[in-house]
Amino acid sequence: MTFVLTNLVPGDPATANLGEQASSDPAAVAEYRRQHGLDQPLPIQYARYLEDLARGDLGQSQQSHQPVLTDLRAAVPATMELAALAILLSLLVGVASGVVSALHRNRLGDHVLRVLSLLFVSMPTFWLALVAFYVFFDQLGWAAGSGRLDPGVTAPANVTGLYTVDAVLAGQWFTFWNAVSHLILPALVLTAHTVGLLTRFTRSAVLEVLSQDYVRSARAKGLPERTVLVHYVLRGALVPVITVAGLAFGALLSGTVLVESIFAWPGLGGYAFRSATTFDLPAVMGVGLVIGTIYLFVNLAVDVLYGVIDPRARVQ
Amino acid sequence: MPSFLTRPSLVASLAACSAAVLSLSACAGSTADSASGGRILVIDTTFNLKSADPGRQFEPTGQTIGKAIYQTLLTFKGGDVTKPVPDLATYEQSKDRKTLTLRLRGGTFSDGSPVTADDVVFSLNRVIGLKGNPSFLLKGVTITKNDASTVTLTSKEPNLALPFILANPSLGILNSKVVRAHGGTETSADKAEPYLNRHSSGSGPYTLTAYSTTTQVVLQKNSKYTGPDDPTYDKVILRNVQTPTQKLNVQRGDSQIALNLSSDQVQRLTGGVKVLSQTSSDVVFLLLNQDESVGGVTADPKFNEAVRKGIDYQGLLQLAGKGATQPAGIIPSTFVGSLPPSEATGRDLEGARAALAAGGLKHPKVTLSYANDTAVGGLTLQPLAERIQAQLKEIGITVDLAPGPSATELDKYRAGKNQMGLWKWSPDYPDPSDYLVFLPGNLVGLRAGWKASADAELDPLVEKARLVTKSEERNAAYKEIQRRLNASGPFVSLIQPSRITVTAASVAGVEYNPVWTIDVADVRTS
Amino acid sequence: MNLRLLKRLPPACRRPLTLIGSGVALLWLLAGLAAPLLAPHDPLAQSLPRLAGPGRGHWFGTDALGRDILSRVLYGARVSIPLSLTVVALSLFVGGVLGGFAGYFGRRVDEVIMRVADLVLAFPTVILALVIAAALGASLQNAVLAILLVAWPPFARVARGLVLGLRSQEYILSGRLLGFSAWRSLRVDVLPGVLGPLLVLTALDIGNATLLLSGLSFLGLGAKPPIAEWGSMVADGTLQFDSWWIGVFPGLAILTIVLAFNFLGDALRDALDPGTAKTIGTAKEHAA
Repeated sequence: MTFVLTNLVPGDPATANLGEQASSDPAAVAEYRRQHGLDQPLPIQYARYLEDLARGDLGQSQQSHQPVLTDLRAAVPATMELAALAILLSLLVGVASGVVSALHRNRLGDHVLRVLSLLFVSMPTFWLALVAFYVFFDQLGWAAGSGRLDPGVTAPANVTGLYTVDAVLAGQWFTFWNAVSHLILPALVLTAHTVGLLTRFTRSAVLEVLSQDYVRSARAKGLPERTVLVHYVLRGALVPVITVAGLAFGALLSGTVLVESIFAWPGLGGYAFRSATTFDLPAVMGVGLVIGTIYLFVNLAVDVLYGVIDPRARVQ
Repeated sequence: MPSFLTRPSLVASLAACSAAVLSLSACAGSTADSASGGRILVIDTTFNLKSADPGRQFEPTGQTIGKAIYQTLLTFKGGDVTKPVPDLATYEQSKDRKTLTLRLRGGTFSDGSPVTADDVVFSLNRVIGLKGNPSFLLKGVTITKNDASTVTLTSKEPNLALPFILANPSLGILNSKVVRAHGGTETSADKAEPYLNRHSSGSGPYTLTAYSTTTQVVLQKNSKYTGPDDPTYDKVILRNVQTPTQKLNVQRGDSQIALNLSSDQVQRLTGGVKVLSQTSSDVVFLLLNQDESVGGVTADPKFNEAVRKGIDYQGLLQLAGKGATQPAGIIPSTFVGSLPPSEATGRDLEGARAALAAGGLKHPKVTLSYANDTAVGGLTLQPLAERIQAQLKEIGITVDLAPGPSATELDKYRAGKNQMGLWKWSPDYPDPSDYLVFLPGNLVGLRAGWKASADAELDPLVEKARLVTKSEERNAAYKEIQRRLNASGPFVSLIQPSRITVTAASVAGVEYNPVWTIDVADVRTS
Repeated sequence: MNLRLLKRLPPACRRPLTLIGSGVALLWLLAGLAAPLLAPHDPLAQSLPRLAGPGRGHWFGTDALGRDILSRVLYGARVSIPLSLTVVALSLFVGGVLGGFAGYFGRRVDEVIMRVADLVLAFPTVILALVIAAALGASLQNAVLAILLVAWPPFARVARGLVLGLRSQEYILSGRLLGFSAWRSLRVDVLPGVLGPLLVLTALDIGNATLLLSGLSFLGLGAKPPIAEWGSMVADGTLQFDSWWIGVFPGLAILTIVLAFNFLGDALRDALDPGTAKTIGTAKEHAA
């Protein structure tokens, strides 16, 4: 599908990617088309693409002149590092405040949390990134600058591509802290929307469980409130919350497109944007594949977690 | 399945991140020097980079990198592009200006081997054979080796521009043995690009140690460099940084040089930095299509006249800031052959309205196309287009703006489908002959629907400019051509924006060059 | 508002947040309608000092071309609000019809439509919309189209679920037995039962649509200059960090209108019976 979509675009990659003078030179244009396989009819191009794909070759980016796989190998861990931290923060804060909100239903704490979560959900992420960058970096100087590391700090040896993990593996604590300091602000900005989402959803999930018969009977049996909360309520509410967390991860990836440009984060979002606006077809297709794969894994993780939390799902 | 997508790594990252969260307070910035030894120069720029292979790169950032890692036969001193000077070779041009003899004068590649005539022949022939972006530079030029240290370049017509062209980093000299060993050939079958994107293979003051087209490029001092003036910095890092961040970084001392700031952005700069505003050699111009079927009203000479007189050039310069100037013709004021500023067009509202009335043009409507992701220095075309729209409205011309990303807009522009276009021309080499492209039947002329021999008065002038062998006569001919262009051509030269370079107080020797932006080897500590 | 009238509203609609939400939404609607009267300047006039901070004469400051930000923010309401409403209305229509068909006819139709819906849902909305908008070329119409293409599946899901539930109801079965056409049955018997919940979902989605639309404009894939559009105004702000007012005020405009829409959507959802509210709730998170 991605192939069809990206081939419907109006731009001609040859003229778009050649220089001023070369674009008028038929020899240079022909050479460009030959090198990128654009001189073949579309079905053959597609067959070739599939053939390469089967060999794990995603083709070459027209922008970077590098294999798309190489580009993605750099961009995907950058985004995953950011998204992983953000989803973790969102889950911690979102689930906690959702539970608090539900338990204090219709009291002051609940109202405050509900308004706050709705505020976060309503906030344009790109705007929040701009404001956060201006306030915390430009004005206050609290946050580290753009990019994944300070200039001059060399990236740790590539194992996972996640700088924090790689730095720990290499025992480079200075690099580790540097990477963390660069992660915090963009991660917090990305977190805002998902925290709101998760708070709202956890609240309604907990409220629903609270009204269920088995919780009422557990209470009636005189079980301590703590036990009821942890074993019955939380466990029951977690199943729908995990579904939403999986979806929230998608929202996070969406957010990266808007946030990465402001923080100059060399990740998947920026790569997707650049590739899409320059009609770099192999790169766009590579991004589509990677995102599809990430979604697959997130769904898999969600399913596995279901099994852990809900014994019934395991039987099925 | 790529290894980085496996679950263990995800779990590991989650664990690491949670550890990070627990100690948010410990994030402190660091200076560039603390992490590794030696003098480090950090340059922030918005990357326009596709390759580090000289024969394939022709983008601004590629030129800056190429200048640092490869030597060319001839070069320019600092920002003065009016006179080519020897780099790897000295030169001598025959009387008829058709033969250029180059004598090598030393030079050592980073692997210790000397630069020879074979390397020169290979490198130049490879540029031609690759049929890539810079191939046109040597169009019609034959390269012959005379002996181990002499090479002759022959052209069919007088080629006064050739010495200026040879300074282009795309024509950098490669170590032919090493490049051949990694798949290099003199034809389009060449496979050396991946190698040249990882290792440099030249005789320049720096070598390439890390390369990415999106994040950063790292250069290390070449210990085998034998050229003049040993570079000051041991390591140079070029980072791809958006302009607002460039400003903050240079202000905070995170970087020493910022290359793409606009005049608005440097207005409130603080923190003891130096601001260098120089006139760029990029010319921003309006294109009015002469092909009736594409342009309609824009093909009308009276409309043309009205636009020329209706634009408030000073109002445009206001947006471009200090250092910007209005070129009097299509050739930028910084090059030989340019018209004196006194001949520049001024605003004449009455004249513009009169021209429209004389042509019987009531409330003409046109569409202005441009690429909204194009920037000249720190200035994007976007505000210029919006201001032109407002200015032309005053004389009764309605302009619809049709911006788009370069990827689509360049295509239409190059196919000659713009009714009215806002574009820039950055020189390929600093010689007036590069501007012949604006003439009827030529590259940019055709984009304006200006077919060959569309203007009978221009042809003899062009013939003269092409064939004369004396610089003064040639410059005079180019001036005549530009006067004719100003009178009736389809292009309106608008502005030469300023090139603003912001440097830390500790840095000296930075000079803007229209071909390679800056020569990192020239940068010194002050 | 008359107190007695207030009491006739469902309880969810009487909450202070709902009232504030409707108040803000109403204010923006009025601001949009009356922008020519309210705006102190022509939103396109480049006559003021450039990059002036907020102050007398221009309360929200001016941008890089010397245009009044306040006037542009007010005029921006005329772009963002109607277009967001259009997007969700179209998504409602397309998603509702497709989902209705899928649920009513089942089998092949169901299979095909829901597969496509799942495929769309398998991509982050912004990234997919971005690729589509880039392929179509930057303009507001194309941005609307791109958002429509990524926004309809949640509607289709809800519509399908509701129709599946209704299809087995006796009155519809009896209608079919009486020989009414599928079209009549869909229109007369199914539509009324589906429309209410779908409209609530629509209300909940307006905020998202506004965010997505301004996001695309922020990326340069929506509004064309010199149109005053909030997302693209924030993008202008990213080029001029020092002049914070360029980006902050239009961002606040987006925030307040989205917040107001979300307050209203919540109230409508709470006014529904819990079962339906839950179906919609899940679909809503999908849409995000």
